[in-house]
Amino acid sequence: MPHIVTDNCRLCRFTDCVEVCPVECFHADEERTYIDPDVCIDCGACIPACPVRAIYDTEDMPEEFVPWIAINAERAATLPVLSARQPALPTAADRQKELGF
Amino acid sequence: MSVHVSDTSVVRGACPHDCPDTCAFLYHVEDGKLVEVTGDPDHPMTRGGLCVKLKNFAEHHYNPDRLLYPMKRVGAKGSGQFERISWDEALAEIKSRWTDIIDEFGAQAIMPHVYLGHQGTLNGLTSGDAFFNRLGSSVAEKTYCESGSSTAWIMTVGPTGGLDLESLAYSKYIIVWGMNMTSTNLHAWPFVLEAKKKGAKVVVIDPVRTRTAKQADWHIPIKPGTDAALALGMMNIIIAEDLYDHDYVEQYTLGFEELKDRAAEYPPEKVSAITGIPVADILTLAREYAATQPSAIRQGVALERSRGGGQAIRAITCLPALTGAWRHVGGGAVEMPIWEFPTKFDAICRPDWIKPGTRVVNELDLGAALTGELDLDPPIKSLFVYNSNPVSQAPDQAKIIAGLQREDLFTVASELFISDTARYADILLPATMQAEQYDLMVTWGHLYMTLNQPAIEAPGECVPNVEMFRRLAKTMGFDDPYWDRTDEEMLQDFYDWDAPQLQGITLEKLKEKGYMRLNVGDADKRAPHAEGNFKTPSGKCEFKASAAADGNFVVPVWRSMYEGEQSGEPVDPLPDYLPPFESPHSNPELAARYPLNIVSPKPHAFLNTQYGNETVQQRRQGEQVVLLHPDDAAGRGIEAGSYVRVFNDRGHFEGRAELTDDMMPGLVMANVGYWPSLTRTGTSVNAISSGKHCSLGQAGTYCDNLVEVARV
Ligand code: SF4
Ligand code: SF4
Ligand code: SF4
Repeated sequence: MPHIVTDNCRLCRFTDCVEVCPVECFHADEERTYIDPDVCIDCGACIPACPVRAIYDTEDMPEEFVPWIAINAERAATLPVLSARQPALPTAADRQKELGF
Repeated sequence: MSVHVSDTSVVRGACPHDCPDTCAFLYHVEDGKLVEVTGDPDHPMTRGGLCVKLKNFAEHHYNPDRLLYPMKRVGAKGSGQFERISWDEALAEIKSRWTDIIDEFGAQAIMPHVYLGHQGTLNGLTSGDAFFNRLGSSVAEKTYCESGSSTAWIMTVGPTGGLDLESLAYSKYIIVWGMNMTSTNLHAWPFVLEAKKKGAKVVVIDPVRTRTAKQADWHIPIKPGTDAALALGMMNIIIAEDLYDHDYVEQYTLGFEELKDRAAEYPPEKVSAITGIPVADILTLAREYAATQPSAIRQGVALERSRGGGQAIRAITCLPALTGAWRHVGGGAVEMPIWEFPTKFDAICRPDWIKPGTRVVNELDLGAALTGELDLDPPIKSLFVYNSNPVSQAPDQAKIIAGLQREDLFTVASELFISDTARYADILLPATMQAEQYDLMVTWGHLYMTLNQPAIEAPGECVPNVEMFRRLAKTMGFDDPYWDRTDEEMLQDFYDWDAPQLQGITLEKLKEKGYMRLNVGDADKRAPHAEGNFKTPSGKCEFKASAAADGNFVVPVWRSMYEGEQSGEPVDPLPDYLPPFESPHSNPELAARYPLNIVSPKPHAFLNTQYGNETVQQRRQGEQVVLLHPDDAAGRGIEAGSYVRVFNDRGHFEGRAELTDDMMPGLVMANVGYWPSLTRTGTSVNAISSGKHCSLGQAGTYCDNLVEVARV
């Protein structure tokens, strides 16, 4: 079972995660990132990299995030790979504050 | 657990595992407790991440099943019933039993059994060699993995590290040959991706469409054990179409004319019939590989795991010299760079203590050695197992278990857990885990010296192997100063710190920095064989190997640095294709009963058997799965999800069938690493593995086995 990006990433998209992923399995739309479950090798490197704690290991996460498994799989399949770090969204700083990180 | 770490003290460490990546660790410690282990973000290969296997590494240290005290067996052999004893009692018992055995049978009746359950200089593969050489035991030949590759590589290019994996970033054409890198060499993969971003083509040659193959530009499925034929076929085309580098061949290689004749025996049509690869693909591969420089080959150890595996490594290692790929940064081939490190293995292993004529027993023959099938005089009366778990990892599982059940065999096991092998021991000795010990890591995938410093106290009465052997040496009355040294003093003596590669590198600096790169040139400039400089007797890449004159051999590091008693069977000085022992093509008689070839690669979430007993990793890895092509399943009434029995004359195991066209028809795959005692049948994939050896370096033939599969 792979890793997933959850709602905290929305409007934030710091993409620190992309930089540490050894297999380039992050995909993105304008709002946030998604992990391709077929490519993710579960190394966990992205978890501590995310400044807003958006990423979880599906083997080790609160129940509430279960719906995100399907969302990541579906969105990743249709969106392009992000292979390099991007500038954070302009809303990122506010969003980070709002989330309390 | 992957937590966000804060307010903790950090100690630098290194991964202990038999994995090429040797990641640099940061141990996070809070109140004397290890709370998390993360990858060092500054290390150019580790880059802050570890891998799935190590995700629960901190907790692993506190696994309640850990062996914390010496134990003695109180039930029947294999019953798993043990009782705590003191270290003094354990050592006294070992001394008394060994003294009796030595008196009656001689010391060669004692056999050590070790592999790379730990990869440190002090506690790893060679940690007990000096002790056993001094004791006069049989010399164990440790050829589980890499030995076939080492022999072949050294015959061809000598003990060179070859291409730096970091230099892959500068390649234009990368062949990953027989390796599932994103599972087993993860930290080199970003360099492949970097090259790909710059336009490089990535080709994966593998019988199975692995997760790595899926990420490649081109996956070439190949029948297992036929890689030498493909490499010879590529040479055939490269030479026939004059795509080779005349000047490089002329100046820096030996035996081109003979190689040319040999390659002429492998035209594309013949190679296609052997390998199952279409002629057009063989042509494209050869032409692209030769024309797109710098081209690189990442050789996987899997290549050696069949009868002709060593010769396959020989053939593949010839390719970059033929095309002149070595001229360029990012060109050449990488098998393992361990040879770049100035390790003084003689000082570690003390082969001068081996009496001439001392016999060698190969560890892959353990079952045959213990059951009397090998005619050994004296017989093996005692086995000392450390850093290894042969019941799961060696071929011929049933025979090993039968041998370990012998009442007259005195077995000692040093372990972290009561493994499937340790269950059969008479005496158990508790070993430390990586955060509890000091070591300088041996590395076979990068060019950094990496130091592991202890972060926490050892629990119970666990000791590092180096200390266990100090205690054993004193117990046996060895008063040599070898065992009077501290860890630090040993490491000073075990490396040539004055060697050019280590200029500026000291243990003191390593304590501060954790890792330091050897002085062998930077990845963006290094082209070690641009002008030959091969480490062979001729200084050239030896297509025709002068080392073949003495026959088959195991590189001494895999046999306690012993030079004597090599098997010496005749070896073809030129690379050639040797058909597998077991395939429908090469052994139709056997295939009439057992028509399917099986490969048993490493698991994704376990490291061999390590973590196979961790609940979280078991969930990640999932239960034992048997991968089959749908066509093979259909004829056998096997549906996806049904349990199947995989068997041959040697044994059987079971797993849940998964049907996928990632497999080629006629091929079955099941991962090694599951603990036999935790499976449905008490057996695992090595129950079906043959004990035969590869034709070079005595490597195992784990991927050269025929089986039948039936629905349970
Ligand atoms: S680092 Fe976290 S917030 Fe940023 S893109 Fe990745 S998942 Fe989203
Ligand atoms: S767990 Fe590893 S492979 Fe998966 S998304 Fe995170 S960094 Fe990438
Ligand atoms: S097993 Fe390999 S990839 Fe995983 S942490 Fe250890 S060295 Fe790194």
